[in-house]
Amino acid sequence: MLVAENLVKTFPGVRALDGATLTLQPGTVHALLGENGAGKSTLVKLLTGVYRPDGGRITLDGGELHLGGPLDAQRAGIGVVHQERNLIPAFSVAENIVLHHLPGRAGWLDRARMRAEARRCLDLLEVDLDPDTPVARLSVAQGQLVEIAKALSLDNKVLLLDEPTASLTGDEADRLYTVVRRLRDSGHAVVLVSHKLEEVFAVADTVTVLRDGRSVAEAEPLAGFTQGQIVDLMVGRAFASIELAERTVGEQAPPALRLDGVSTALGHRDVSLAVRPGEILGLYGLVGAGRSELAKAVLGLERITAGTVEVHGEPARIRNVGEALRRHRIGYVTEDRKDEGLFLEQPVTRNIAVTVWRRLARAGLVPDRRERALAETYVERLGIRVSSPRQLAGQLSGGNQQKVSLAKWLAADCDILIVDEPTVGIDVRTKAAFHELIAGLAAQGLALLLISSDLPEVVVLADRIAVMSDLRVVGELDNDHDYPRMSQQIIRLVHAETHVEGRVSAA
Amino acid sequence: MPLWANPRVGLVVLLVLLVALFSTIRPAFLDTRLTLTPLQSDISVYLVIGLAQMSVLSLGHMNMAVGRMAATSAFAMGLVHHTLGAGLLVSLFTGLVVGAGLGALAGLIISRTGVNSFVVTLAMDFALVGLITILYTGVVDGVAFPTMPAGMEALRFDTFADYCAGEICGPRIPLVAPFALAAALLTGLLFRWSRVGREILMTGSSPRAAELSGIPTRGRVVQAHALSGLLAALAGFLLAANNGAFSAGIGDGFLLPSFLAPVLGGTLLAGGAVSVLGTVLGATLTQVIYKGLNLLQFQLDRLQLYIGLVLLAALSLDRARHVLAGRREAAP
Ligand SMILES: Nc1ncnc2c1ncn2[C@@H]1O[C@H](COP(=O)(O)OP(=O)(O)OP(=O)(O)O)[C@@H](O)[C@H]1O
Ligand SMILES: [Mg+2]
Repeated sequence: MLVAENLVKTFPGVRALDGATLTLQPGTVHALLGENGAGKSTLVKLLTGVYRPDGGRITLDGGELHLGGPLDAQRAGIGVVHQERNLIPAFSVAENIVLHHLPGRAGWLDRARMRAEARRCLDLLEVDLDPDTPVARLSVAQGQLVEIAKALSLDNKVLLLDEPTASLTGDEADRLYTVVRRLRDSGHAVVLVSHKLEEVFAVADTVTVLRDGRSVAEAEPLAGFTQGQIVDLMVGRAFASIELAERTVGEQAPPALRLDGVSTALGHRDVSLAVRPGEILGLYGLVGAGRSELAKAVLGLERITAGTVEVHGEPARIRNVGEALRRHRIGYVTEDRKDEGLFLEQPVTRNIAVTVWRRLARAGLVPDRRERALAETYVERLGIRVSSPRQLAGQLSGGNQQKVSLAKWLAADCDILIVDEPTVGIDVRTKAAFHELIAGLAAQGLALLLISSDLPEVVVLADRIAVMSDLRVVGELDNDHDYPRMSQQIIRLVHAETHVEGRVSAA
Repeated sequence: MPLWANPRVGLVVLLVLLVALFSTIRPAFLDTRLTLTPLQSDISVYLVIGLAQMSVLSLGHMNMAVGRMAATSAFAMGLVHHTLGAGLLVSLFTGLVVGAGLGALAGLIISRTGVNSFVVTLAMDFALVGLITILYTGVVDGVAFPTMPAGMEALRFDTFADYCAGEICGPRIPLVAPFALAAALLTGLLFRWSRVGREILMTGSSPRAAELSGIPTRGRVVQAHALSGLLAALAGFLLAANNGAFSAGIGDGFLLPSFLAPVLGGTLLAGGAVSVLGTVLGATLTQVIYKGLNLLQFQLDRLQLYIGLVLLAALSLDRARHVLAGRREAAP
């Protein structure tokens, strides 16, 4: 039994944990919930030796546990999937998975055994990936699957999963939870941090809720709560759900962005899509369907081999993001905030203002005052939790980083916005606020292309839903916002395609 | 952050201590004519070369060819004077253009091919070494130009004390110092407040995120390297003024000090952050140590050994302070 009592952890200007308590019984799946910045990841990092607590203690089966570093936690049988990726890009999938117990023979690496072990872990999750692929070539979601496989490869008594399904679609998440249930039934203890409450309620037995670094519910049976009660606990007051703005899409307006028969060097074939001003087009698909890559091709980051892209009816040949932003007023919020969305070593102010320096500058110089004022507007509007706007982006909690990555594109004042998994890792309250914001942008006449693996999100927000599978658009549906019916149709579309292809492909 | 954790404060303290030490042992260290004025000339040169390196460190790049870019530019300055009889300003301008051009070329190769800046500039350094020898033998059949533009002599020997308005004369500051000061101020302005400078820093912080934020990263890489070349050329010019000749040997000793000044001053090798003030302090510190040990009459080889040791100590202290500061923050 793993127990954390009254843990305290302070960072400059923030008390991330302030008396957090977590009791973990073997043979249970324990949900750890809380809003963005509540301290969940910090707690996970204390339990795995990444940080040392400033107060409180951790015991394992009655004995006090002093974790000097991540290796100590591993020796104690505590495995973890952190919220942020920790893979080594230059190494192969197999090397990453068995990194900490590389099989050797007389000092030489036993490659065959390494590959077999990696294969075994990937098979648990039914992931179809070549163990020899370098990790640098994987998509965000594939990286996440490898990370989970890595945690499974060690025989741990305790497994901590910090938002393991943030960038996975339903199918992949289901496979993960099958494994989680199997682990629980064989006596393991699993901690699950997630903002996807449906998943949490489907798999977890007990729950601890953190608010401002303190436990406000401790190891209580989850069955005693409704989702609404949990949200109220996280927020600290009754949380009213938000009504989305009513919108009318100008039916006769020409599309703001139109793709006609686009094929790319990556293998997209004959993709046609159109978004009108004031419209939200959802783009749904499984991991590896090629949605983000399609967006990047539109922006000139991948090569288009055939077909045309039109912006406001004019053929456009966009070569890079700068051109997309300045000439066509197209913005792209990336799904990979850590590598593509944020400058982790730079302050929040610069992270938000980077797209609009041109507008803020006077005679080529950017006044700090204007930059700060702009950043503060967005910090307030999106409720970004910072100790000061000068705080480094890398020091924010995952969800708050996501908000910063979105903020810079809101600031850019675009006509067309491509948002790629905008609510990954964002808490329930903020997610609702984001949905309101996105619907509001559309109501103002922006054309939005919403790439999302979150089926409820797509059904709530989109006017039409295009489904992609294996680098092609396999269907387009008008959305009537009736979730059970829409989701069934969409899933049928996805699977019709994969059956033809023979198997579920994660590549 | 506590005050003592600021690397600049550590440098100032170290600087004060060393000056006190040297002037106690050798009072001549405080002699203006003998020590302080030449010291300022030297600091000027090494500050500018430090800024040249800092300009590309901002990207997380290196310029291994700073010395040879300075030498090539100095050759260009000598050449336009020697063959066309150009004056001081025209010569200087030509040299700066050549320097910026060489830097831009390096930047262009790096951004087009994606080859590491270390490799590209190292190769460029090799190529330029050969070129400079060929050029000097071809043009002047020697290793230096015989003449210099009018005014270079004044830059070499005069201080502002030699220029008086009635009774009031200037301070004993060499005429080269304002060049370095202006370079530092403009570079500081660029990286601190200008959009282009900030975009260079963002590119250094994360090239991928910069590209996806609409920053023309290739252009910024070329511009940072061009700036590096331009500053290297200026350093070459100032050294030529101090030495009294445009010669092939200019820039031979630039490489190591070019890194020392910014790195001592807290500029990261990883890119994304620079400190002009730190570079000023770093350059001053290295030159004070050099001058001081020189006055104490260390032999040249010994001198270099000791400078190495002092710098190692300074850098370790810096590191220790960093770690301590980190601990203090973690445990308030
Ligand atoms: N290295 C750090 N330096 C400074 N502050 C930090 C650091 N890590 C976390 N914090 C702060 O501690 C608080 C808790 O962060 P934590 O990452 O634990 O939140 P979280 O509950 O995991 O949120 P999310 O749901 O957004 O992932 C936040 O206010 C964050 O800004
Ligand atoms: Mg977190």
